[in-house]
Amino acid sequence: MEKTNASTFLRKYTMIIALILVVIFFSITTEGKILFPQNINNLISQNAYVFVLATGMLLCILTGGNIDLSVGSVVCFAGAVGAMMMDKKVNVVAAVLAMLVIGILIGMWQGFWIAYVKVPPFIATLAGMYAFRGLSNAVLQGMTVSIKSEAFIKVFGGGADCYVPDLFGGEGFNMTCMIAGCIAVAVLIAVQLKNRINNKSRGYETAPLGSTIAKLAVISAVILWISYKLSSHKGIPTALIWILLVLLVYGYLTTKTRIGRYLYAVGGNEKATRLSGINTKKVYFIAYVNMGFLAALAGILTIARLTSSQPTYGQGYEMDAIGACFIGGASAYGGVGSVAGVVVGATLMGVINQGMSIMGMDANYQKVVKGLVLLIAVAFDVLSKREKK
Amino acid sequence: MNKAMEIFRKHTMKIVLVLIVIFFSVMTEGQMFAASSFQALIAQNAYVFVLATGMLMCMLTGGNIDLSVGSFVCFVGAIGGHMMVRGGMSVPVAMLLMVGAGVIYGVVEGFLIAYINIPPWIATLAGYLAFRGWGTALLNGATIAPMPEGFIKMFNGSIPDVFGGAALNITCLLVGVIACVLFVVLQLKGRNDKVKKGYEAETMTSVIVRCVLVSVVILLFAWKLAQAGGIPNNLVWVAVIVLIYNFITSKTTIGRYFYTIGGNVEATRLSGIDTKRIFFLAYLNMAVLTVISGWMTMARLSAATPTAGTNYEMDAISACVVGGVSAYGGSGTVFGMVIGATLIGVINLGMSLMGIDANWQKVVKGVVLLAAVVFEIMNNKEKTKD
Repeated sequence: MEKTNASTFLRKYTMIIALILVVIFFSITTEGKILFPQNINNLISQNAYVFVLATGMLLCILTGGNIDLSVGSVVCFAGAVGAMMMDKKVNVVAAVLAMLVIGILIGMWQGFWIAYVKVPPFIATLAGMYAFRGLSNAVLQGMTVSIKSEAFIKVFGGGADCYVPDLFGGEGFNMTCMIAGCIAVAVLIAVQLKNRINNKSRGYETAPLGSTIAKLAVISAVILWISYKLSSHKGIPTALIWILLVLLVYGYLTTKTRIGRYLYAVGGNEKATRLSGINTKKVYFIAYVNMGFLAALAGILTIARLTSSQPTYGQGYEMDAIGACFIGGASAYGGVGSVAGVVVGATLMGVINQGMSIMGMDANYQKVVKGLVLLIAVAFDVLSKREKK
Repeated sequence: MNKAMEIFRKHTMKIVLVLIVIFFSVMTEGQMFAASSFQALIAQNAYVFVLATGMLMCMLTGGNIDLSVGSFVCFVGAIGGHMMVRGGMSVPVAMLLMVGAGVIYGVVEGFLIAYINIPPWIATLAGYLAFRGWGTALLNGATIAPMPEGFIKMFNGSIPDVFGGAALNITCLLVGVIACVLFVVLQLKGRNDKVKKGYEAETMTSVIVRCVLVSVVILLFAWKLAQAGGIPNNLVWVAVIVLIYNFITSKTTIGRYFYTIGGNVEATRLSGIDTKRIFFLAYLNMAVLTVISGWMTMARLSAATPTAGTNYEMDAISACVVGGVSAYGGSGTVFGMVIGATLIGVINLGMSLMGIDANWQKVVKGVVLLAAVVFEIMNNKEKTKD
């Protein structure tokens, strides 16, 4: 009994344990540098795109292990068009809207072929991967376009001081950030307890109080620790606001709404879902339109952080997003996965990226490591499912 | 009217190929038909034929693809460059070791896909990333050149003229004529056999028309190549590979297994066929053929470079899909793939001759791939309606 408990615990939290081990590993190899406040800040702003893209990819993967190989190129293309527009003195708001619209249109284009013509997703998006990379090159004419709009850079988290300003003007320590962290913890605890009480009063099965409290304590500790680290640097990076916004919206969509349930249903059993009267084609279509939209948002964050647009931006991003989903427990066959899992997966990807960079590892070997991590995550998922059966 | 439709549907890609050749001939003011263009078409696209053959075997098993081929071309190039140029190793030994690397990768990849059940596009996506990184790292981001003369000649050279024709390579012409005769004899024999055994056979006219058209194309190639130095060694490699795989897929038991798995994997397994072994073989085979196309690429560039093989997976997949290989597996032929690869080659060559920007070439290629899949799916839908 004791043993099965330990092994189910281990299986349920493998990736979180892996994350902790990876953090410890890099803390040792970088002599603690990875835990410096500035590096935690960088971790968030440099990997914002991973969180955003992985959330979109999760929805595609949920519908049956379908992926989008074109996201890296779409990031580049949307960014290229936006940068060109801003370079031509187009209003910043108009440029941002244009980028998002382009993302949605690309999503509709690919979604149409995938959902209504039944072109296999990997082929449709492989075609997009090449076409949009080529188009970005053509738009930028192979050159770098730098972004001068201060407002754009600040809002989307680029440059050196893209932080939410401190309302209390604390010297060296950002009070706003710390207070935001405390509020987040309070809200989290309130919501969890309320859910628990609700479930109890309706007579649903609930987890034992001990485990709920332990979980809350651990999550709260992590949030407070991160807030403390961020406060001692410059405060809340603006990129973090965008990440949280995306995660909360999609966390809500996937768990509480009808369309969210449809995504899982289609991935679980497409035929049964269709026969129960759900328009499955529309579900696929929405997943890819949404992916296009989030890819454009990731494009905005990317060009803001790098304050420029280049034809090579976004290369390999599809890999980061897909990797984050699978590490976070999404099934390569669809129907299983959660936004919370994506957060763990994307953080792990981010820590690996960051740790290897701080260690000064060759970018080429970083690619090798990422490929292996992806492979191990999927192999682990497939094998542990087989065991369950 | 119906019959015309049927002929059209059966030969769409061939008709498209002819139209594209005409289009580029007009756009390039006939440059497309220069003897040197024929030479270039084969020299620059030999890798497409080889990779597409391997990709065909993977796709037959159920629309499975291999995204890692381009990166693996780079990787084997890097180790080959180190062995032959930096290490001064003898060419045959180095080539054998490269095949060894391919076998190892194929075994690992095949094992993960067939026996662990990792979806092929994930396993090969990991390879796509890892081998590009590893290859670039081995080369330190630089180019290793030049390759040994003997190695380059194996691919880039031509078969010498036995008859010593000065401007016109007689051997090449002769081989072309022999190929035509063989083709005609085989076609007639095939038809005769069918008639004798009482199977349904095509009409004599259609056989004759096909023989005439194919002979004309072969003779045209032979004539043009004879003017441009003779039979390129690359063509010999391609012809041998295509013929072997045509035989395997159409005449052997194992070849039939690839089709049945793609048609219905469950039924195939239940009828006692080891389906896992077929998946395994498909990817092992792909890795070995990738090594051959790696040789071709190294020889053509006379170098091992970090960018070698970029987008090759795209060309190979497109060639298959354009050639009528189903994106869902179970149907497709080596002959169709040859048409597809030629079409991709003609588009590559035509766009280069026209001086179209490389970025727009990417866009065109992406659109061609998508259009071909959509066409195939539409076509199948209509067929099932009939």
